[in-house]
Amino acid sequence: MLEIQNLTAGYGELEVLQEVSLHIGPAEIVALIGPNGAGKSTVIKSVFGLTHIARGMITFKEKKITKMKTSDLVGLGISYVPQGKINFPSLSVLENLEIGAPAGQDKALLTKNLSFVFHKFPALREKREKPAYTLSGGQQQMLALGRALMREPALLLLDEPSLGLSPKLQKEAFTMINSLRADGIAIIIVEQNAKKAIEIADRTYLLEEGKVVLEGGREMITHKKIKSVYLGGRY
Amino acid sequence: MVMSQLVMNSLIAGSIYALVACGFSLIYTTNRFMHFAHGTTIVAAGYLLYQLFQVLGIPFFAASFVSICLAGMLGLSTYYYLYLPLQKRKASNIVLLIASIGVLIFIENLIQLIFGASVKSIGYIKIARGMDLLGAVITPLQLTIILSSIILLGVLSFLMYKTILGRNMRAVADNPELSSIIGIDHVKVSKYSFLIGSYLAGIAGILIGLEQNLEPTMGTSLMIKGFTGAVIGGVGSVPAAALGSYLLGFAENFGIWYLPSGYKDAIAFILLFLFLLFRPSGMFGREKGASHD
Repeated sequence: MLEIQNLTAGYGELEVLQEVSLHIGPAEIVALIGPNGAGKSTVIKSVFGLTHIARGMITFKEKKITKMKTSDLVGLGISYVPQGKINFPSLSVLENLEIGAPAGQDKALLTKNLSFVFHKFPALREKREKPAYTLSGGQQQMLALGRALMREPALLLLDEPSLGLSPKLQKEAFTMINSLRADGIAIIIVEQNAKKAIEIADRTYLLEEGKVVLEGGREMITHKKIKSVYLGGRY
Repeated sequence: MVMSQLVMNSLIAGSIYALVACGFSLIYTTNRFMHFAHGTTIVAAGYLLYQLFQVLGIPFFAASFVSICLAGMLGLSTYYYLYLPLQKRKASNIVLLIASIGVLIFIENLIQLIFGASVKSIGYIKIARGMDLLGAVITPLQLTIILSSIILLGVLSFLMYKTILGRNMRAVADNPELSSIIGIDHVKVSKYSFLIGSYLAGIAGILIGLEQNLEPTMGTSLMIKGFTGAVIGGVGSVPAAALGSYLLGFAENFGIWYLPSGYKDAIAFILLFLFLLFRPSGMFGREKGASHD
């Protein structure tokens, strides 16, 4: 579905990624793990046209999307949930969701997608008229995810969806991501928690200093390198 | 009697400040830089009306309509031909601020060059005796100013809170990075905010031109009042800027009940100073940080 070939990209003159290649199929979860500054977020930002791409190629559904404008990519069925400030705090929950829908979308389709999101996240339905800043951290994450779903994406790019959540909420977030795969959505997830990421993903890529140094399925959890460096011997 | 007169005077001043502040604040929230040249848009509209109506004899409403439209175009062109090219060259907001002050000075002097430094007045409404309203004396024009301001603020809130364009404007104001990620066209939002903000400035210019004499440099002082109103309310929100402007109107007019009237402008400056020092987010603004996820 999405294929990245020999991607070298970064910001301005700075090249963060060196020759990164990866791929994801329909309804698959791919996790990107690695230390801070390894370029995990840069990979998904590059897919979404938010970096400077020096070399390499990205194709989505057999179509070349390298260097396509962000506004055009949204239309193709790719949604991106960044990290950090992920909502519009003074807009209501409902407005935060509706703004995710494509401009001029059919009213019936909008209602359908809205009820899908409210079905997935009942807490948002209760607070639909409240401004987004009144939501808790976990609900903020749901809202951002909900907005991304309003476009019925085929591919979802998630940048550290578990960041800042309590262990209980993290677990809920991962269950949710799993259920989205069951709905047929392909997901690339950037994750700090290597163990959780490997568990949930069909395939995991380990990045270090802008390069893919290891890739594999769930068996990666037993890999020596992962065990010693990323699981810190604690597991 | 005195009390109701003070309230009325406060409302008149507040209405004018609110029109200035709302346009300014609308542009500020969606663009994140201070468009101080907003003040000259007001004065330009006043002088255009003077030229079209007083000098060329075009009927008043047609002349006003043209002046307001041209004020909108002036604001929009300032964005399109000055700020946007600067932004494309990655100019910082300080550079844009300085550019806006440059435009302010340039247009003020251009007006002075064309019309001269002497005051001009628009004689559409004959000096009328004030009528008695709830114990206060108010001229029909002053009543028009208050009513037009309230109606325009109503229209503006409808636009901001009930339309897609308004929602997108608030989204850009709230979180510019995220709004571009989800595909909102920033340039389009900016264009509309300059256009609408400058229309408001144009209307303010017409009303002020009828109420007071026109002077080339009045834009700066109006801008300071509008800016102060916006800061008192909270510069990041259009309704807060409107409320802050009315508060400024009240503070000034009730202040000179106790102080010599020459201190009227000083009251505005002291308030501006105090708010910038102790409560830069304004009376109704959320403290920075509270909105973070």
